[in-house]
Amino acid sequence: MGNEAQLVSKVFVLDKFYEYFDQIKQFCDQNGLVGLKANFANIMTILSSNIDLGAILLADNYCQSLDETMDLARQIHTIRPELPIVLRRTSISGLDDLPEKQRKLFCATYTIDDMSPLRKVIDEYIFSLYYPNALVRGISEITSSTLANQFKHLKVNAETPYIVRDRIIFGEVFSLIPLESSWCRGYMMLQTEEDAIIDVLGFDELAGDESPATFRTVNNILGEVTNLIWGAFKNRFVADGDPGSRSTAQVPIVINHQHKYISFGSGNPQLCFKYTLLNEEDGHLITIYQWFVFNLNWSPEDFQEVQTSVNDLIDSGELELF
Amino acid sequence: MAKILIVDDSSTVRDEVGGFLKKNGLEVVTAVDGTDGLNKLKADPGIKLVVSDVNMPNMDGLTMVEKIRNELGNGTVNVIMLTTENNPSMKERGKAAGVKGWIVKPFKGESVLETFKKLSA
Repeated sequence: MGNEAQLVSKVFVLDKFYEYFDQIKQFCDQNGLVGLKANFANIMTILSSNIDLGAILLADNYCQSLDETMDLARQIHTIRPELPIVLRRTSISGLDDLPEKQRKLFCATYTIDDMSPLRKVIDEYIFSLYYPNALVRGISEITSSTLANQFKHLKVNAETPYIVRDRIIFGEVFSLIPLESSWCRGYMMLQTEEDAIIDVLGFDELAGDESPATFRTVNNILGEVTNLIWGAFKNRFVADGDPGSRSTAQVPIVINHQHKYISFGSGNPQLCFKYTLLNEEDGHLITIYQWFVFNLNWSPEDFQEVQTSVNDLIDSGELELF
Repeated sequence: MAKILIVDDSSTVRDEVGGFLKKNGLEVVTAVDGTDGLNKLKADPGIKLVVSDVNMPNMDGLTMVEKIRNELGNGTVNVIMLTTENNPSMKERGKAAGVKGWIVKPFKGESVLETFKKLSA
């Protein structure tokens, strides 16, 4: 990642008019969006599995008839109600021609000649929270460094951070740890696949043990990685003597295992990082998603970086004798 | 032989640190939190060095050190904190309780082995 930790968000583009793709792509490029396309047959499968979407851009003539497009929108809204759907109108603008029930499926409309409403939607629904560059860059650095240290024989890659609106959990195992300071209050969440870690470890090499890795090994490793990142986050971003949050308010976190769905009680978009850890010898890969959910307080204007990553790296692991 | 007590709620850390020290000829006892650490220390006078995490369930590491000094009356066992915490006020609290040293994780065994050997002798 470069010095500018520019955030992006993935949007699902359901549009069949290829002559407009360049225009839509140009808009996406200019506004920090990554457009994803799919075959009609795969739409629901992708929506059921993709965890890092920000919005859906749907053309009203995407299906054979407007009614069928409305039916598709209804299906999307049913399985992913957290994702805003923006309707591209082809013959008229607005939603006035649609019945109330259908109008509720969309957060806005746009036309290919006037994409300004789409820009408004992006600002309102996706990039509505400001995340300081130093924070985004710092998180990526400390997490990559922690992962590289914990999985010494794997190559760590950090992808461009995302803003996501969806709430689908990746993999089978995740950790949650509270983050609290005067400028933030919420959680960090790490998500991964159990089998991927077991496959890569083979044996519990982190422990130097000869016994095969099990789900408990995965739990322990994810727990320790979470702890290390949490500590590094506090050392870098929370000043000594930070008064913390004055609020004691809490909201329930709801997890639906069947649907792999988690709600933190807030509809705010979330800051998401994706890391891949590759064993270059055999091609085994671990994917880790990291979410930051500042659902209880977010005051980026008070954010301040405490120390540089260089000092952090020099200090870590060394014994300071008193 | 002098023993080292490793106190950490993470089995990954207990295995990693314990495995390294054993490979280097040191005898190791482990505990899963401050309460367990206090009990293990009470039961085994052969423990000369405690290497402890700070953030643990049931009893945190610094409270454990304070209890070692005040409740057990053990002023001689050496204590080193091995933790993700790096904030000065926490270190001051450790110093006041008689902590000998502070390591910010991750654990780099080679750089501390000689000191651990001396403190556990």
